[in-house]
Amino acid sequence: MTLLLAYIVLVAPLVAVAVCAMTRSPRVAEAINLLMALTTAVAAVPVPFLTHSTQVALDGYLVVDPLGAWVVLCVALVYALASIYAIGYMRLLGEDGRLPRFYALFAGFAWTTLAAPLMNNAGVYWITVELTTLVSTFLVGFEHAAESIEAAWKYIIVVSAGITLALLGTVLFYWAGTVALGPVYDMTWATLTRAAPHMNPTLVTLAFLLVLVGYGTKAGLAPMHTWLPDAHSEGPAPVSALLSGALLNIALLGIVRFGAVAQGAGVGAVSRLALITLGVVSLALAALFIVRQRGVKRLMAYSSVEHMGVMALGFGFGGPLGVAGALYHMLNHALNKSLMFFGSGVTMRAYGTKDMNGIRRVGVYFPFTGALWLAGALAITGAPPFGLFLSELTVLRAGLTPAHSWAVAVMLILLVVIFAGFLNHFRVMYFTGAAPETPPRSEAVGPWCIAAMVLAGVPVLILGIWWPSAFTGVFRSISSALAGGLSP
Amino acid sequence: MTLPHFTPLAASLFSLLAIASLLLTFIMLGSRWLRDYMYAFGLQSWMIAVLSASMGYYAHFPELYLVAVLTALFRGLLLPYLILRILQRLGADRELHVILQPSTALVLGAAGVVFALVVAYHLAAAVGVSSQVVILALTVMLSMKLIGFLMLSVRHEAISHILGLLVLENGIFLGSQILIPGMPLLIELVILFDLLVAVACFGVLARYLMERAGTTSSLQLRKLVG
Amino acid sequence: MTAHDVLLQIGQVAAVLLLSPLVQGFILRYEERVQRARGPSLVQPYRDLWKLFHKELVVPEGASFVHFVAPVVAFTAMLIVPLLIPVLTDYPLPLSDMGDILGGGLILTLGGFFIALAGLDSGSAYGGIGSSRSVMVSILAEPTLILVFVGITLLAKSMLPFVVNHLLANHLAVYWSPAHIFLVCAFFILLLVETDRLPIHSSTHIEVYMIEEARVLEYSGPLLALVKWASMMKQFILYTIFCNVLVMPWLLSTQGTAAGALGAAIAVLGKFALVACAVIVVETAQSRLRFYRYQEPLAASFVLAALAIIANQIR
Repeated sequence: MTLLLAYIVLVAPLVAVAVCAMTRSPRVAEAINLLMALTTAVAAVPVPFLTHSTQVALDGYLVVDPLGAWVVLCVALVYALASIYAIGYMRLLGEDGRLPRFYALFAGFAWTTLAAPLMNNAGVYWITVELTTLVSTFLVGFEHAAESIEAAWKYIIVVSAGITLALLGTVLFYWAGTVALGPVYDMTWATLTRAAPHMNPTLVTLAFLLVLVGYGTKAGLAPMHTWLPDAHSEGPAPVSALLSGALLNIALLGIVRFGAVAQGAGVGAVSRLALITLGVVSLALAALFIVRQRGVKRLMAYSSVEHMGVMALGFGFGGPLGVAGALYHMLNHALNKSLMFFGSGVTMRAYGTKDMNGIRRVGVYFPFTGALWLAGALAITGAPPFGLFLSELTVLRAGLTPAHSWAVAVMLILLVVIFAGFLNHFRVMYFTGAAPETPPRSEAVGPWCIAAMVLAGVPVLILGIWWPSAFTGVFRSISSALAGGLSP
Repeated sequence: MTLPHFTPLAASLFSLLAIASLLLTFIMLGSRWLRDYMYAFGLQSWMIAVLSASMGYYAHFPELYLVAVLTALFRGLLLPYLILRILQRLGADRELHVILQPSTALVLGAAGVVFALVVAYHLAAAVGVSSQVVILALTVMLSMKLIGFLMLSVRHEAISHILGLLVLENGIFLGSQILIPGMPLLIELVILFDLLVAVACFGVLARYLMERAGTTSSLQLRKLVG
Repeated sequence: MTAHDVLLQIGQVAAVLLLSPLVQGFILRYEERVQRARGPSLVQPYRDLWKLFHKELVVPEGASFVHFVAPVVAFTAMLIVPLLIPVLTDYPLPLSDMGDILGGGLILTLGGFFIALAGLDSGSAYGGIGSSRSVMVSILAEPTLILVFVGITLLAKSMLPFVVNHLLANHLAVYWSPAHIFLVCAFFILLLVETDRLPIHSSTHIEVYMIEEARVLEYSGPLLALVKWASMMKQFILYTIFCNVLVMPWLLSTQGTAAGALGAAIAVLGKFALVACAVIVVETAQSRLRFYRYQEPLAASFVLAALAIIANQIR
């Protein structure tokens, strides 16, 4: 059953790509993309709860395990929400003729992000991650302005250079595995984990650090995050939502899977310390840049860096609490960040500027949407009763061991700083300043956009009050697998 | 680690090819004419193809012959041709070295190679391998990585960035041919095709850069800060 | 220390002394020939030296004893170095224990240092320019030269040029190893620099570009002859190190008989002719570099020497 659902998840976006590439009508493209996105979401939601063990298919190239299924769930939800939003948003662009190409690229990008967690072979996983970069570059540069192309160029160069480091790490992992498995073997996650106790610790440490820096570039961990603010702020809002909510998780998945191999080889302490250090640095850099920020979408992008740091800290602290916190954070962040990007997209279109100095009195002109956006801002900085509060609290609790308490202290301080800085920007946008001379275009906030924002915002509230017990089962199986079980 | 024992002739052949690739990397680092980069890159790819084929012969991995032929065709001929087309379309001829003089870059590259040698020695000692070919492979792989990153940092032309990325990939490929010749064929082939797609994307993007931003030099792309 | 050995040592020094103008003449003539001009005769440098020895000595007013001492020191230094390197024989003669490769380099530099002092001594502007520029070039070139010597030493695990000669002549595997090839390339670039060939053509007479000539602008008569002869001998010595030690270590006298020594001398001329042809080709193909770009060929040479050392460690 899970395999069937996995096949649906993989095939549906490809259908969308094919149809959008062939059609010339933007309405058809929008419709097919939405249909396939909803199919994918419906197929992806039950998978983590139905997967009790790892299943391998397609001659060993496809794997459906709890961790991958959870990431696919997050990605599929963001894809569906972004598709709903994109219908309303992209019509504002006024370039209807190019929309089929946009939707083809969009569905293709979604396909690569859905395929990556399901890849069994570490080399094929790397190739899928590289493909996500190549496809999303054109999405980032879609609006063909000078800044967009600059952002796209920076994105592709920095990220491609970064993941070549990850390829080097993968090659070194393969080399380390040849001791136990001979010169020719299939580099699946299970095989690597099984061979881990026989691998040389020094080599595995070097290989993991390379993988961490390499996939960390893709995941937006500081100090390799330099492409992130540009790419996330220059792309159209649905693309930014998909980038922030989906793509960063894919890269973090790679780090976590290789971390399990490192744990099996006996160097788990060093690898987790490296992950924690990068998490703390991400939080620090994000805090600094959030406090002094002028662009509204860049603000959201730095918030992504912050939350990636929190997730890295969660996985770095390890143990059942840490992993559970990080995974719950992944879901909540995906939904919440989508809401924030949706809101900033319509605000940008309404006020005609990306600069926060030009956005004033949002609550006056857009009562409902503005309230939703403000609630999202409260949520994303980690205030109760929203979901991110629960997940960050879990991560903090996981870190309260003597070895990691320094990280917990720094994390607390930085979270407070980010809370204050982020909400200050919103206070300025909502409650201060004179009304702008030209009132904002209210038709920028169409029904599709509002629907997407509501669908993204309500679950965040629900998940903040109710932690479903089904999730706990999934998290427990994932964390036991990461701590040294046989199947990751 | 399970490399067969190589005859001195084979070892010196690998040594010559690997070090010649490294020398070509230095030529790429120190040259000003973008066309010279490209020829050096093509020649380097051919050398790595010959290395692949000889590894296939001496270590008895017949599928490496196919990999060698494909490397020579795709990395050695098709990629330089694509880059040549990008060069012609962009109309860029030479690179004025603004950030760092080529001589300083060469010396930094030599320092990088020494660092890579030290790391390779320590790694080989930790792993317990004493074969000279392995140490050489690790040294050349790591130093090509370091020099590739150096090229990415100190150059400002778009073509140089693309070639720096390709040097990075070439370095990994060279190392993987010597260290893990048994890596499944499918992975190597797909990585090769993936490179082609990547360069094609670079070409398209570089064209957009020229049209919209008016320049391909990263020194001028300064609109997005903060 | 038999009479045989003494004769051989004198013969080595005499070979360098008498044959160096011939090499210079060869380069000058065939450089012109390649550019389709007539070119001076092969023995023209001899005639120049003869003419200079018979000219009157004119000394500038502000000159001190350095003005007289420097050419003599340079000339003498160039006479000492042939004792240390394999010029005619491939086995070490008794006095060659006085110094190894590094010692030979030191003595060569000593001569150059004194000429640089002499350029400053007379107090003229051109002398100062020439000395400062030549010192700048040697700041760039000396570390590379030392690194090349280190590479040679590591290759043969000995500092004596004779051991290197035997190693390269007898072991083909070492001859074709990457370490040796890179050392040859690095030394070739240094050869071009130290003998003032393009791209660092410092023997030009155009005032703005003068390097070498500016230092000796104040000299005349026999002192000028000594200075010119010293620079010709330096070129010959560097060619000797390049050919007899690194590139073509064959065709040297093994027994030390008179016929052998004579044959070795003729073979040496033949080998140097080949190297000189290579130098001429390189020189004709290039133009002069701007002063601030002198670091580029020298950095390339440095990198090659470093690569040679690394290649040697992984051998």
